[in-house]
Amino acid sequence: MKILGLFLAIILTFASAAFAQDLQVPQNAVAGEGASISTSGSGSATFYLTGPGTSLKRDFKRGETISLSADDLAYAGRYTAALDGGGAQSFFVTAAKPAKLNFMARPSRVPVAHPDVISGVVFVLDRNDNLITTPTTVNFQLGIAGSAPTTRPLQSKNGIAWIKAGSGNREGAAQFTASVGDISAKRVVQQVASDPCNLRMKAQADGKNIQLQTEPIKDCSGNAVPDGTIVTFSESAGGRGRSTVDARVKHGVARATLPSVPGATLTVASGVVLGNEIRWSGGQ
Amino acid sequence: MPLAAIALLALAVHGPLLLMQLPAVSTGGSAQIFLAQHYSQSWFNPWNEKWFAGFSQTSYPPLTQQWVALISRVMSLTAAYMVVQLFAVILLALGAFRFARLWVDERSASFAAIGSIFLGSLSMLVYQSGQLPATAATALALHGVSYLYGWSRSAKVLSLIKGFLLLIAAATADHVTALFGIILFAIPAVVLAITDRNDSESSERTSSAAVLIRAAVMVGLVAISATIVLAPFWSSFLSPQQQIPLPDGSRDNLLLNFSSAVRYWLIPMGAIVLALPYLFISGLAERRLRPLFFAFYVAMVLGLGGTTPVARVVLGRFYESFSMDRFTFWATLLALPLLGELATRLIERYSVKATIALAVAAVLTFSIPLAYVTAHPPSTNPFRTEPIANFLNRDNHDRFRYLTLGFGSQFAELATRANASTVDGDPSVARVLPEVAGFGAAHFDMARNYGSAGMESLRAVLKHASQYGLKFIFVRDRYYEPLLAFAGWRQIESYENGNVTLWSKEDVPPLKKIEPVNPISWFERMTWGLVPMLCSILAITLMIFFPERRRVMAEPIPFPSAETQAHRMQEAR
Amino acid sequence: MRLGSIVMIVLLLVLIGAGTVQTKSLHISANTPETALQSFFAQVKAKHWDDAFAMVQPGSGVEKESFIKDLGGNNESLKTISALQDVKTKILRESGNESDLRADLQWSTAVGALHESRDFKLVNDEGQWKIVWTPPAKNDGPPKPLPTTYLRWDVVQRGSSRDEWGVQNVEPPRMRIISMNAIEYQGGVTILGEVVNEDTVPGFVTINAILLDKDGNSIAEESSFDKISHTLLPKEISPFRVDFANRKLADVKSVRISPTNILVPAAADPVVGVFNQRIEKDPNGKSILRGELVTQGGQTVNIPHVLATFYDQSGKVIWVSDGYVDKALLPQQAVPFAVDLRDDLAGQVQNYRITVNYYNSNRS
Repeated sequence: MKILGLFLAIILTFASAAFAQDLQVPQNAVAGEGASISTSGSGSATFYLTGPGTSLKRDFKRGETISLSADDLAYAGRYTAALDGGGAQSFFVTAAKPAKLNFMARPSRVPVAHPDVISGVVFVLDRNDNLITTPTTVNFQLGIAGSAPTTRPLQSKNGIAWIKAGSGNREGAAQFTASVGDISAKRVVQQVASDPCNLRMKAQADGKNIQLQTEPIKDCSGNAVPDGTIVTFSESAGGRGRSTVDARVKHGVARATLPSVPGATLTVASGVVLGNEIRWSGGQ
Repeated sequence: MPLAAIALLALAVHGPLLLMQLPAVSTGGSAQIFLAQHYSQSWFNPWNEKWFAGFSQTSYPPLTQQWVALISRVMSLTAAYMVVQLFAVILLALGAFRFARLWVDERSASFAAIGSIFLGSLSMLVYQSGQLPATAATALALHGVSYLYGWSRSAKVLSLIKGFLLLIAAATADHVTALFGIILFAIPAVVLAITDRNDSESSERTSSAAVLIRAAVMVGLVAISATIVLAPFWSSFLSPQQQIPLPDGSRDNLLLNFSSAVRYWLIPMGAIVLALPYLFISGLAERRLRPLFFAFYVAMVLGLGGTTPVARVVLGRFYESFSMDRFTFWATLLALPLLGELATRLIERYSVKATIALAVAAVLTFSIPLAYVTAHPPSTNPFRTEPIANFLNRDNHDRFRYLTLGFGSQFAELATRANASTVDGDPSVARVLPEVAGFGAAHFDMARNYGSAGMESLRAVLKHASQYGLKFIFVRDRYYEPLLAFAGWRQIESYENGNVTLWSKEDVPPLKKIEPVNPISWFERMTWGLVPMLCSILAITLMIFFPERRRVMAEPIPFPSAETQAHRMQEAR
Repeated sequence: MRLGSIVMIVLLLVLIGAGTVQTKSLHISANTPETALQSFFAQVKAKHWDDAFAMVQPGSGVEKESFIKDLGGNNESLKTISALQDVKTKILRESGNESDLRADLQWSTAVGALHESRDFKLVNDEGQWKIVWTPPAKNDGPPKPLPTTYLRWDVVQRGSSRDEWGVQNVEPPRMRIISMNAIEYQGGVTILGEVVNEDTVPGFVTINAILLDKDGNSIAEESSFDKISHTLLPKEISPFRVDFANRKLADVKSVRISPTNILVPAAADPVVGVFNQRIEKDPNGKSILRGELVTQGGQTVNIPHVLATFYDQSGKVIWVSDGYVDKALLPQQAVPFAVDLRDDLAGQVQNYRITVNYYNSNRS
């Protein structure tokens, strides 16, 4: 293949030097659209075209116009047309209008009410997957069902547009949309409850034990922390030892049973968040 | 009985069983096939990356593996193993004849050779333990020792050459035979040569010293040559690396442990147990036979393992390195000349009755071990290793190392099939990974059997999974699952209806190749790759094309009775 | 030559006798309290439960079944996959027909070696020393199975063949190392710390640590292995400890910690309470942290694993130790545990926290 390429290059170079005036290449060719190249002179010749992902050879009669189909010019970039006994010229094929958006949104899951935690990157492409390098306006929209979405238009640079956005205050599946004209790509970013806020528990005597139960656990935005979250109940009775239970939140609250030790201090925590403290007097 | 008939009988008895590839699932058979596979792919490079994250195959004498590798050019590795094993069994029967012929007449020697085919100890070694190296080395040693006798007694140079080559071949087949087996067979043969030195027809008198010097020359030459050829092996074998002793029934006190007594003594001995009183009486009755009896006695006592303190004292640090059943095997072989003589006497006296009784005893001695192997297969509940090997051989999974837990004898079978490398290996070729040096060498696949030290070794190597690229662990014994779960492995797949589960660790990088440890020189590679095979081929060629003249024993020929009719009482007049 | 044969046979019998006496010395009698206890554990080691139970003083109030469960384990606990490896006995008190002994037992278990120290009382019963077996503490009635209705997370992976570019599977949970401390201990370097799952989904975490020298070169690499609770539910905190043997802290310029976390299926139960935690001295004078484990759900926990984090006055993690519990946790039944605390640190410990990890034989 390398030898063939070299051979072709030598032919093109010679042809270009001698017969450049024989070809008239298109000045505003667009990828995925046909184009024509006019020639001059007389007699038979062979036409060569090389470009991104394209290489073709065609016999024709000098003086006729060579038609290039949409498939021949599918990819944007620099093309070279040459004749074996005519000439060689280069021309550019530009990307067509936006037809597709490659949209990458990270992460798929974010805690609510955090600034700049969501990032979105869009690659603007035409229908043949050519990157459209001319500045294009991309509209980013982030919103959760039932609330007004946030929209930000951004110009793409070299075919890429990106955004950093904060998460909203409500948990749920946020629709993260990027659109150019009537083309759009959608991703879902799950907004989940953040760390518990105002973690509070109450204690109740139950025979020899204490029944501990938190109030409904919510984050600072009022979203309920998901079931399964660990809530640690501790009972410390000085020299008489301590007891702990890593309870799981179920239906919004966490419950645990600890032995009843009069004078013990009861605490509650979830992760690195501390809750209220109760001094247990023995159930009175 | 001609030698050809003995060989054919061995072929007829063992051929069908080996055709069924019974030893393929034996404890050691699959390991031997694995080692042979490496020689078939890389004859002169002993560095094998598939076990111990890389180890040198010079840690095990190569002869039988090289034979299997050579024959595997025309058939599968397993079939090649069976062919070599069959050849070893035939060679053993012929060796038993040749060795017995030193002690007893030709007829008795023929019975001894037939007996060797039906030995229970041989059946156990071939079909239960898969000890191809031990059986082949013993066969070669029996022939070699016979030539040692010939050379020592009558200074035949051809005997020296043949004996030398055969004993070198024996040493390069199995190191335990080289260290202990050859001595057990050679000492009585040399003593016999001294006894028989002036029994030949020639009038030339030979001194005991001359016989001894000749014997010493040959044994010395063999020792020096074996040391040179197996130099890389001895350096690893004699290194102070510690091996965790694996509980082995052969080292039990057989009086206190009946199941071990059955497995390691009663079944291997078979009907020979009934002949023990005869062995004690006749072995000591004739001066000429006493060296043979004493060798038998020593081998038998060593074969009793922990029943007596002898094995522990005599074998020292090697006591826990190998199973004692091969001493019982050698004891039964050493008893065969005397048993051959017993058979001759019984048949002379009781004719058909004795023939039938002996045949039944031989068949039972041979078949009971086979029944035992069927009842106690080396691999309980065997499973197919192909799906596991397929997993390891696809999607670049061989970029990581793997470990098996609880595969038993099928561990080596998987290693043969898979391209991937494991950090484990057969204990017979133990290379100690630095992580487990403090605990001693252990076969991780059966870590639980080694007790705390085994499990601590396993923990140590699992801790360094990242360094070894150890990503996949195949578990067949659920005993190990808690450790894996607590250590950060997760079950991702199961095979064979859940019989085997695959556990994986996420953060393990691909393996880094380990450079050969103590690489051997070009000369050592050549001698390791060529000498064992050349010695065995040359020896067998010389045996075939330059056979010994049959020795005619100086024994009284009974004068034929002139009168065939019964005597009639006649009154004197 | 008959004489020769007899001599050889006698020699063989003598050798066999010597070997048997040597072996039998392990199966010692019950003539003294210490030999009786050794003999008892020889039977336990061989799992000869009948013979072992025969050495228990009748009337100790123990049934054979519970005796076997006590020594051999049940409910697929760690004891059921353990074998007694070694026993060392020591007389604590001896007076006439009664003796108190301590047995230091080393078990070989599926998770490694396990040490146990147990005190026994032996009484002389007509010349034979018998063990007064203390029955295990009775729980209040049989286990009370409770319905398990906690949440369970499953992971459904997307098919990859026809996915649109940029579409991804669910990301691994966010884990954060909330504290870390490097210390030198027993000729090695130990990295201690805590990691929290900050996410709303369970995660599986492993901590790898690399010691770097002043030039930034790697000196050694180790992982947390079993000194961590790998599966962390949302907001769950686990301590971790990474040990580097034969290293000096002075040679270490920095430590690179790389947690690996992935999203895994998990269940929110069982909930294990840790009661009556207290730091005590054991009979040998060693500091230990004791307590009791109680499952608050309806599930049995086969092998519990206790991880203890010790903090100093400033709240810094100064030590992490762990221990496996050889009994299974049945619902609502308390099982005692003990984990070691370094004696040299006992005075500095101001606070501690216990995390319970577990293995269940039926979990996939």
